[in-house]
Amino acid sequence: MDFRPTPDQAALMTALERLVEPFAAPPTDFRRFTLESEELESQLEAAEFFDIAETPGLGPVAAALAVERLARLPCTAEVALSMLVRPHLRNGRWPRPLAFVERGRPARFLTRAKTVLVADGEGLGVAFLSRGNAAAVNSLFAYPMGALDADVAVKALEPEEGAEVRRWLRVALAAEAAGLMQAAIDSTVEHLSVRQQFGRPLGTFQALRHRLSECAVLAGGVKWLALEAAGTQDSGAAALAAFHAQQSAARLTYDLHQMLGAMGVTLEHPLHLWTYRLKALQSELGGHGAQAQAVAQLCFP
Amino acid sequence: MDFAFDDAQATFRTTVRRFLADNLPGDWEQLAHGPGSASQTRFARDFCGKLARAGLLVPHWPARWGGRDADPWIAFILAEEMWGAGEPRGGQYMNVNWIGPTLMRFGTEAQQARYIPPMARGEALWCQGFSEPEAGSDLASLRTRADRHGDGYRIHGQKIWTSYAGAADACFLLARTSPGKNGISIFLVPMDTPGITVRDIPSLIGEGDIHEVFFDDVAVPESARLGGEGEAWNIVRTALSLERVGIPRFALAARMLERAVASLKRQDRFGPHAHIGAARARAACAAARLYSYRIVDQRRHGETPGAEASAARVATVMCEHQVADFVVEHCPEALSGGDALLLAHHQRAVVAGIASGAAEIQLNLVASQLLGLPREPR
Ligand SMILES: Cc1cc2nc3c(=O)[nH]c(=O)nc-3n(C[C@H](O)[C@H](O)[C@H](O)COP(=O)(O)OP(=O)(O)OC[C@H]3O[C@@H](n4cnc5c(N)ncnc54)[C@H](O)[C@@H]3O)c2cc1C
Repeated sequence: MDFRPTPDQAALMTALERLVEPFAAPPTDFRRFTLESEELESQLEAAEFFDIAETPGLGPVAAALAVERLARLPCTAEVALSMLVRPHLRNGRWPRPLAFVERGRPARFLTRAKTVLVADGEGLGVAFLSRGNAAAVNSLFAYPMGALDADVAVKALEPEEGAEVRRWLRVALAAEAAGLMQAAIDSTVEHLSVRQQFGRPLGTFQALRHRLSECAVLAGGVKWLALEAAGTQDSGAAALAAFHAQQSAARLTYDLHQMLGAMGVTLEHPLHLWTYRLKALQSELGGHGAQAQAVAQLCFP
Repeated sequence: MDFAFDDAQATFRTTVRRFLADNLPGDWEQLAHGPGSASQTRFARDFCGKLARAGLLVPHWPARWGGRDADPWIAFILAEEMWGAGEPRGGQYMNVNWIGPTLMRFGTEAQQARYIPPMARGEALWCQGFSEPEAGSDLASLRTRADRHGDGYRIHGQKIWTSYAGAADACFLLARTSPGKNGISIFLVPMDTPGITVRDIPSLIGEGDIHEVFFDDVAVPESARLGGEGEAWNIVRTALSLERVGIPRFALAARMLERAVASLKRQDRFGPHAHIGAARARAACAAARLYSYRIVDQRRHGETPGAEASAARVATVMCEHQVADFVVEHCPEALSGGDALLLAHHQRAVVAGIASGAAEIQLNLVASQLLGLPREPR
């Protein structure tokens, strides 16, 4: 048991910190729903960050730490599936970016994805796309969303591989959610520290202090559960992490927007970039009800 | 980062589990009801003696005081297994966790020689005399007075909510030696000192747990004072930081959740509705466990946990309530005599956010120290 990053993991995070610095500031004069950075993605690719889960001395915990850190940026990129799920697909290195489509719904990063995981009930399949198989759709979710052509050929994964991929989809979801939550909380702390009403900063009102502290405790829990699931590679731990992420996301998105007042509903304030990504994650993998069912099966045998 | 216990830690856990299996009697679960009850207290004296002889009472204490300088993980694994079993050490867990270590750090040689060996043998029961009728969360406003008298003190006042006071041998008492926050001192007071009266307070938590303690002109020598006059606050801060992560409440909560689910499964009642409640409670237990482990890890590396300890405490309170609520909703028969240990857990869970300090105080600390929000006006 050791909760400190290993020297290798710490060095990786220092390198990542340097890489993300130019992407860290929220954009000024921003009025859109989605903020994506292909530049960030290509820099991560060039620096071989998508291989860290398989790099000796780094591994899935390092990948989860990186996913969490990158999710805190105002801009998004296809990171979580590439870093945490792709290494567990058999039959070779499938091309990235990756996307995950459920029930034919619009999915994140689909228009640029080269490998698509397709959920069909309990089963999972895979499809390979060339540009043109997916159309961009407008969305409130702060990810680039796309819809898949109905006639794309999907090859079913063996149940065992499907179960493993599902486990890592859950870890990826929880690690990304943890970073989104942290960034949304940081942004709310900043607002509550600066915004004054009744002659004092809002952050001095205990009703908000306690509410935000509870959000922070939930978010920290999501992070630890995600890291533990990445470390133990246990399916039950992964289901638990994804469940906790989706449950907590529902509460956080409401509470944090409430604390920002009207400012929080503008596109100009960056809060929606994190909260609407959280909302997208809330629905994935069948939502928290499906995660609860998985927890029931895996954690209470 | 590594989320697995090493071989030595795993072996130690097995040893403790084996000890519990060999030494908890068949009717232990009935006894566990009422952590301060006379039967539990009697049992705990016998049980702690056995633990001490097996080297499992104070392994993390220095060798000089009967331990083997084991690292914080060993102490915590021991605490998890004990609390998870329904705390067969009764109130003696306080000696092990913080009263003993506090005396080692701040006590005189005479105080150490008098009080620590009986704790290490599993023979001493202490109570904590902090709260008063007018001083709960605002502990610094306490009024119990220790007035100089000859070469000692005379103590006047009242404590309340004092756990185990009815059976305790000694009290770790806070009393005022001068006005203000810096006027509070600590006294180590044998409970059979003339002038002390203890009254039991019937409560939801079970028989014999909380009490009122009256001090009517109680004479104590100067040598009963721990630390200098007015030093209570510093010493107590250290003591409480030891206690705050001291009780691994999540360990019993997680086991009670498993027990409740197993019982539902036997009755074929573990359906989709219960899945959500069970997952919620399980996630809360896991989060509380990881938060607590993080604190132990910090200690292990010689760091002093700060506001993270408050976050851990809040996570723990959340998990206690999630499990207690799950049981109330799905296994309500447990509260009506159906399962003694589920009942005992419920009784402990409902005070998780009050005993050893209100959760709201911890939320304030998280807000200021972890989030960095501006402080409330005073
Ligand atoms: C089972 C049990 C065992 C105990 N054992 C002991 C013991 O052995 N020794 C001992 O000394 N004490 C003991 N206590 C007492 C315990 O420490 C106090 O109950 C606790 O400190 C809270 O004080 P209070 O009950 O007076 O609540 P109050 O201080 O009156 O507060 C009531 C509630 O108001 C809220 N509140 C208070 N202050 C604030 C604030 N600043 N901001 C926001 N909300 C606030 C909180 O919700 C709090 O729960 C025990 C209590 C229980 C329930």
